[in-house]
Amino acid sequence: MKKEKAKTHFVGVRLTEEQKRALSKLEKTSDLSKTDILLRGLELLSEYYSLGLDRPPLNAELKKLENEAMHHFQELKRIKRREESVREMVQELRDIDKIIDEYNGDKSALIQILLKIQAKNHWLPKPALMWVSERLDIPMSQILNIATFYKAFSLDPQGEHLVRVCLGTACHVRGGPKILDAAEQFLGVEPGETTSDLKFTLEGVNCLGCCALGPVMMVDDVHYGKLDSSKVGEILSKYRMKEVERSEDKRKGVIPIIHESKPPKSS
Amino acid sequence: MKKLQSTSDMEKLRKELLQKRDSSKSCISICSGTGCHAYGSEKVVSAFENELKKQKLEGKVEIKRTGCHGFCEKGPIVVIYPEEICYLQVKIEDVTDIVSQTIKAGKIIDRLLYTDLKTGKKVVHESEIPFYKNQTRLIFGNNRKIESKNIDDYIALDGYNALGKALSEMTPEKVLGEVKKANLRGRGGGGFPAGRKWGSVRNAPGEPKYVIVNCDEGDPGAYMDRSLMEGNPHSVIEGLIIGAYAIGSHEGYVYVRQEYPLAVENTELAIKQAEEYGLLGKDILGSGFDFTIKIHRGAGAFVSGESSALMSAIEGKVGEPRPKYTHTSEKGLWDKPTCLNNVETWANVPFIINKGADWFRNMGTENSKGTKIFSLVGNVNNTGLVEVPMGITLREIIYDIGGGIPNGKKFKAVQTGGPSGGCIPESQLDIPVDFDELGKVGSMMGSGGMIVMDEDTCMVDIARYFVKFLSQESCGKCTPCREGLRHMLRILNDITSGKADEEDIELLEELCEVVKDASLCALGQTAPNPVLSTLKYFRDEYEAHLQGECPAKVCKELIQYYIDPEKCKGCGLCLEKCPTGAISGEKKGVYTVDVEKCIKCGACFEVCNFDAVSKISSKECK
Repeated sequence: MKKEKAKTHFVGVRLTEEQKRALSKLEKTSDLSKTDILLRGLELLSEYYSLGLDRPPLNAELKKLENEAMHHFQELKRIKRREESVREMVQELRDIDKIIDEYNGDKSALIQILLKIQAKNHWLPKPALMWVSERLDIPMSQILNIATFYKAFSLDPQGEHLVRVCLGTACHVRGGPKILDAAEQFLGVEPGETTSDLKFTLEGVNCLGCCALGPVMMVDDVHYGKLDSSKVGEILSKYRMKEVERSEDKRKGVIPIIHESKPPKSS
Repeated sequence: MKKLQSTSDMEKLRKELLQKRDSSKSCISICSGTGCHAYGSEKVVSAFENELKKQKLEGKVEIKRTGCHGFCEKGPIVVIYPEEICYLQVKIEDVTDIVSQTIKAGKIIDRLLYTDLKTGKKVVHESEIPFYKNQTRLIFGNNRKIESKNIDDYIALDGYNALGKALSEMTPEKVLGEVKKANLRGRGGGGFPAGRKWGSVRNAPGEPKYVIVNCDEGDPGAYMDRSLMEGNPHSVIEGLIIGAYAIGSHEGYVYVRQEYPLAVENTELAIKQAEEYGLLGKDILGSGFDFTIKIHRGAGAFVSGESSALMSAIEGKVGEPRPKYTHTSEKGLWDKPTCLNNVETWANVPFIINKGADWFRNMGTENSKGTKIFSLVGNVNNTGLVEVPMGITLREIIYDIGGGIPNGKKFKAVQTGGPSGGCIPESQLDIPVDFDELGKVGSMMGSGGMIVMDEDTCMVDIARYFVKFLSQESCGKCTPCREGLRHMLRILNDITSGKADEEDIELLEELCEVVKDASLCALGQTAPNPVLSTLKYFRDEYEAHLQGECPAKVCKELIQYYIDPEKCKGCGLCLEKCPTGAISGEKKGVYTVDVEKCIKCGACFEVCNFDAVSKISSKECK
């Protein structure tokens, strides 16, 4: 019953039967939602009145209506986004459940479980760690101890592309540090940091295990061997210009929903 | 796949497999090891598949993706059997020619063959290439003959024969006796006799007992364990099962480094295949012996390669070493007797059982038997993985197999043993390579990294590099290692930036002794080796740094880039490449470097085609 009523009192406008029919017909024939149709209609009206065909009080009323519609539209969008975020979060936790179930909730499999979460998200979001702590009954402090001890884990979101420059001995004697310098110069970040556009994360690693190709740089899962510092910029700019796409699954981070639920700033 | 109930079942299977194989049928074997993969071998494989379809040879010619062949310098490597024609650096464009000329017409393509560096002659067969000719490829040789993901390939090559022999003909005591007699020493670094370790685990009280494969190959510059585990995982698994039988263990672990996803994938598959054949699981080959293997992936910590640290990592804890008042052979994983050996050590076991301890003892020196795989990398012509009998000299490895130093540069040192090892100078190149001799010259066998350095390498910088590596990797549990290394690094940083004096070197030596004596685990105890060995053989370089000069022109703070006006042709390439705009000048004129703006990245030095850019000592500059 309530729902029915909400439909007839759309954005505070009482529609006549005829108008309602026209609206639902329009809704069926176009891809637009009721709010969109109404907004568009209001837009047309406002254009009409702005040509000087209106009287001032009518214009003010129109403005009020328009604001109300706009506010309603924003609110709806926000609710949808929040719903989406929550669904995503729940999905994330369900995925973690699946990973934990693979190991039958075995406490000693903690590192393996974290590795799988890391591989999926490319970082370890806090909610994920809290859930692991809850499910495995391991204190959060112990989980953070492990997550900070091993280099494979990251507690910050990583860039879209992971750039790893090998600094193993074989690469070192063939000029590995210069490759890292060139990558730092190009990206404008230090090793271990992510560019502000979240496009690249730069890392200096100790051995990529293909020493015969030194000096080596790896971008995502592609090796670039026998480099010199002038080639680094060329390679990375290809990624920046999106000439090379990621081959594997797209990196996915958890949307921080806290920012989404803030009320919009009134201006 | 049918479970094998007995050794005779396995013999029958092997016969069937061999009968099915037509040895005259052409087989294209393409290396899919990490090196070749990085060069794009997978694209070459699909190009071959397409080309065979196009030329209607599908099914008539076999394609094999094998493990690492070892000669990574020249990848991707393609070998065509049965003629064993070896083509190097094969590109997609070459595939059509190979199929139409070599496969169809039996013609050899000269441009893809190896050219002997000394004689300039072309070499057709893989085994005749000097890089391979001077090796003894016992453990590593099968890599190029089998498809890594196919257990049948391994079984056809007498794989799991040793397991059958051990289970049906030998008692656990006899297996143990054979390994003890062979004097197989641990290939992971320490060189502890494997037979003795097995014996003490067997005799230690407590059940269950565990066996572990250590594939946490963290040493920078070494990648042989990876290549074995990726290329021929069954050889390691077979060794592990035999070891477990001798020790009386029914549960094993393979600890694989996180950086090696392919090794994890291939090992997982190998375990599954072995289970399907009944080579793992309950009542293996009808002998009544049960054994299962689990894989544990590391998460990236160098110190976790240490035995007690590795065990706590498997338990799901932080991988820190613990004091070894009680050995891990008595109280290891979950406080039970545990035997941990390196990948290569386990891979040696099937050979010892198949051919006998006496045969194994024929190779090597008095106290180091068998062969060892080294990764020969750095400034050397033929980089790659080499397997040689113990006792061969460093000179033979670097010059006969490695083909010497590239670009006419002079040899300076070879670094063995990873971060715990030392640098060996030219004067010591004729020592035989074995566990004891390398120790005598201040280095160690380690896991087998062998990094060759030419005259352009600064030895102080190398020492600093290793100390920096180790101080980052130190888990921080014990003070001498955590703080000692940090201070050593500070002093070495001062030396390489010309801010140190003679007293600092004395302090450095003193710190070395303390860290060596007082650290908890091998990481700290051996950490001073790179510093001590470079101080021993290259003290003059340290002293030159005190005077503000880096003889090899590596240390940034002590050099300047300079453009020789005589040689500069004014092409402007350096100006284009300079990231900070430190170079100025006009086309066809002479370019100059602004010392204030220069960040010493060396880009100009690398791109100059006329050798006009040179490095000079800052001291000279002033």
